[in-house]
Order: sequence, then C-alpha cells, then structure tokens
Amino acid sequence: MSDGSTPETDARRIAEGERERARFEEEVLELADQVYRVARRLVSTREEAEDLVQETYARAFRSWRSYTPGTNLRAWIFRILTNLNIDRGRREQRAPATQPIEEGDYFLYNRLEAETGADDEERIVERLSQDGIVDALSAVPHDFRDVIVLVDIGDFTYQDAAQILDIPIGTVMSRLHRGRRILKQQLAEAAVGEA
Amino acid sequence: MFDPCAKCEEVLQPFLDRELSDAEIAEAESHLDECTYCRKRYKFEEKLRMYVRLACAEEMPPDLKAKLAALRTPLY
Repeated sequence: MSDGSTPETDARRIAEGERERARFEEEVLELADQVYRVARRLVSTREEAEDLVQETYARAFRSWRSYTPGTNLRAWIFRILTNLNIDRGRREQRAPATQPIEEGDYFLYNRLEAETGADDEERIVERLSQDGIVDALSAVPHDFRDVIVLVDIGDFTYQDAAQILDIPIGTVMSRLHRGRRILKQQLAEAAVGEA
Repeated sequence: MFDPCAKCEEVLQPFLDRELSDAEIAEAESHLDECTYCRKRYKFEEKLRMYVRLACAEEMPPDLKAKLAALRTPLY
C-alpha cells in the first residue's frame, strides 16, 4: 500500500527536516559560552578546553536526532561534554584525605580569620586571590570537581547535574559537599602558604 | 573560632544552592535569624561561592565560536 508520498511531499519533508536541524544547531551554538566556561574548569588548559568543546559540538551536530525537542537542551549538551571528558581517558584520582568533619568544613574560615584577624566575612574572603581559587579548584579530584563546576559555574540544579553525570542525586550532594571541603582545604593551605 | 552547629551542617549547602522547598527555606531563615554562628558561616560560604564563580569564569576565545559554527552540517 502506498504511504501517499510523492516527490513533492518528500521534498517538503526533507526541507522541514533541514530547517529543524538548522534551528537545533543555532540553539546549541547559543550555549557555546556556557559550554566553554564549564569545559575550561573540567580540564587543565585552554587548548584542552577548546578541543573538548569542538569535539562536543561535532558530536552534538552529528547526533542531533537523539535530542528530543522540548526537553532540556542545556542538560543534553553538557551530558555530551562530560561524557567526552570522561572518555578522553582522564585519570582516576583518589580524593585527598580531608580533615575530620568538625574541623574540615571550618578549616578555611578559621585559618583566614586567624590570619587576617578580621571578623568580617567579606574581608576574609577577599584575602583569596583569583589565581589561588583557580589553582585550588583544579586540584580538586575530577569526580568532585565535575559536580562543583556544573552546579557552581554551570548553574545546574542537583537534579540536572545528576542527569548529566548519570549518578544518583544523593551522590551529587555528597560529592558537592566533599568537593567543596577539599576546595576549602586547598584554599586554606594556599592562603597560609602565601602569608 | 566557633563551635560547629549541627543544624547549619544539615541545611547550609542545599539552602545556598536554592534546593530547599519553601517550607524548608522558611525554617532555614528563621534558624539563621537566631543563630549568629550559622549566619556568619552562611555569609562566608555565600561570598566564597560568588568568588569561585567570578574567579573561574573565563570568556570563550573569540575564534572558537567561528570554529564551532564551521562544524555545522552544510545545507544542501
């Protein structure tokens, strides 16, 4: 039985498909700044970040049909980004030993407060340098850093971060908590080292 | 140096990440109103997150967007 297709309807369908794809590509390209900002903190160098973003876009454009219109496009493209980053053969890193909870989470605050003698939260934080923060974040092991970067720099919810990394939401929360503690520990050590 | 507060531990992270329900936010805010220790910690963590976000935001190199656009499927 004929499906009713004619050369004209086929041509229309193809043209519509092309338009849909062009729209999709434009929408994905609009996210490029955000994708780069996150990619830059997932890897060590600017060159690696550029490569990773280009690979991400090449894959996104190739597999555009796997995106379901109306669903979260940001989460979709960031999932490609984080999967590619993992595929790039990053090393498994062991998390450094953190301070016991009683001290660990207050480590940075206490160190900075003791050092500056300040009792003002803003002034205490201003003691940190931009380079120091970037270095401290890059020293956080990948699994923990991925979550921090997605939530704090990518502005994703816990739910989106869980979907992107394909891990349970509870794992997002625990990695975030642990990762931030490691970050603060690194910052505290750097701040004391500079004094 | 202050004594850690168990309540603060429980709600600080999801509160700062805006992941609490309205009822939980109200509970956290009322706790912050009455607990000096948690209020200081909250302000510190909030500032720290803002600093991390600002320090780590690096603009995309200008030529990268053109490279990405070049990866688009050519129109036939």
